[in-house]
Amino acid sequence: MNTSTPANVKLADSNIIVKAEKVNKHFGSLHVLKDISLEVRKNEVVVIIGPSGSGKSTFLRCINHLEKINSGHIYVNGHMIGYYERNGKLVEDNEKNISRQRAEIGMVFQRFNLFPHLTAIENIMEAPVRVRKAPADQVRVEAERLLARVGLADKRDQYPNQLSGGQQQRVAIARALAMKPSLMLFDEPTSALDPEMIGEVLDVMKELAHEMTMIVVSHEMGFARAAANRIVFVDQGQIVEEATPEEFFRNPREERTRLFLSQILH
Amino acid sequence: MYHFDWPLFFQYIWPPTAFQDPLIRNGLIATIVVSIIAQALGVILGLFVALGKMSKFPLFRVVSEAYIWYFRGTPLLVQMMLLFFGLGVTHLYDFPDLKFGALVITGAIQAGTLALGINEGAYMAEIVRAGIEAVDAGQMEAAKSLGMTYGLAMQRIVLPQAAKVIIPPLGNEFNSMMKTTSLMVVISAGELFYGFEQVNARLFKPFELFIAASLYYLALTTIWSFIQARIEASLGERKGIEHGPSMFERLFSGSSGKGAR
Repeated sequence: MNTSTPANVKLADSNIIVKAEKVNKHFGSLHVLKDISLEVRKNEVVVIIGPSGSGKSTFLRCINHLEKINSGHIYVNGHMIGYYERNGKLVEDNEKNISRQRAEIGMVFQRFNLFPHLTAIENIMEAPVRVRKAPADQVRVEAERLLARVGLADKRDQYPNQLSGGQQQRVAIARALAMKPSLMLFDEPTSALDPEMIGEVLDVMKELAHEMTMIVVSHEMGFARAAANRIVFVDQGQIVEEATPEEFFRNPREERTRLFLSQILH
Repeated sequence: MYHFDWPLFFQYIWPPTAFQDPLIRNGLIATIVVSIIAQALGVILGLFVALGKMSKFPLFRVVSEAYIWYFRGTPLLVQMMLLFFGLGVTHLYDFPDLKFGALVITGAIQAGTLALGINEGAYMAEIVRAGIEAVDAGQMEAAKSLGMTYGLAMQRIVLPQAAKVIIPPLGNEFNSMMKTTSLMVVISAGELFYGFEQVNARLFKPFELFIAASLYYLALTTIWSFIQARIEASLGERKGIEHGPSMFERLFSGSSGKGAR
């Protein structure tokens, strides 16, 4: 296994969950991520905001290697994600190692991506049973606990198409939590929801923010203000500004940030 | 004016009397069994070829493309003759009769089933691929984000959803398959049409006998379309997919039967 080679174990500080160093990514001639560097500490909640097309979702997807990167490094829990280094060059890791790393990282998608052929509880149980090979009885108890936690204990045997968007997204959060991840990634989790359902999903996320390391790509400024430890503003593939929510909203340093905030905050 | 031999016609369309002739009885059984085995072979091959065609490894893609190109681009009749007679003269495989107690599977039946299955694999590959591509890409991503490998995600998440898309055309393929088995007559495999041909060689009543033969195929495909409608209805109920065509549409709409291809 490549993740145990010294080159990959770099971080002395075990409190750093995510470390991105000068990450670059191109889609053809389009340079979507430009030298992105970011550190996220244990139990920190980082909200990434920025205009659409700024690269914020792409960056998030690089953290669990759903997207490849062209240069730079991303470490999660001290292990490089998706690659190992040979003679200073990135070499893509094998599928088994990548899958093992992804199992430690929960992800919640804009369009939920629940498995439509499985019930709510089966959605949650699928990965612990098939990937972790945990005993089904034990997993079921845990899955029921998670469903109760997101307020959907009574929906355990419903199929996704029998649930509202907000309910589906809450099941999707429970599904990701069932793997007991050390990091949760949220990719615009409320963007596909009807307005009246946004609150129920944000409530679950706020609850979670007390005890989980989270990176959230979102347009929900209210959530950012209430739950974020740090806000990262991304524009044109670059991190423009990083600040606490108070500083960020009250006193943005950069002109581009001020322009963006003036466009969305009314 | 042609004198239609009604007694003979009735003798050969009425199953209790027709089945007294082992050529017809065993032929019908062979047609059904060969259809099922060849279709199953086609589905399995089609699955692997479809996955091969979508593989990230160029070698798998090339082999799969070549397979589809060849077997869809050449006549089944030629493929069947090539396999049975062509392979026969090389003595690579002579298709000896296989005996299981009283049951004898002739070399011609083996070769015919194999040819039908391999040919069907090329058509099923495209159907399976279309089914997989109909599944939202977010499903594979979600599965991967939970730590599933490509293979596990395919097996547990993508293929069960693709099956909903695959099963209706698969039913149509099987309908077609039952008719296409009649091509095996060219290698004298003992299926239903071969049976009627042999009876005709003895009695020389092609008009009566071939109408009777056609009615047997019509019965098979009609019974199958009822079974197919049942399967699709139960699929729809369980997973909320659109209902397929009605029985009337299924039987009388001129949808593209491939016939002898």
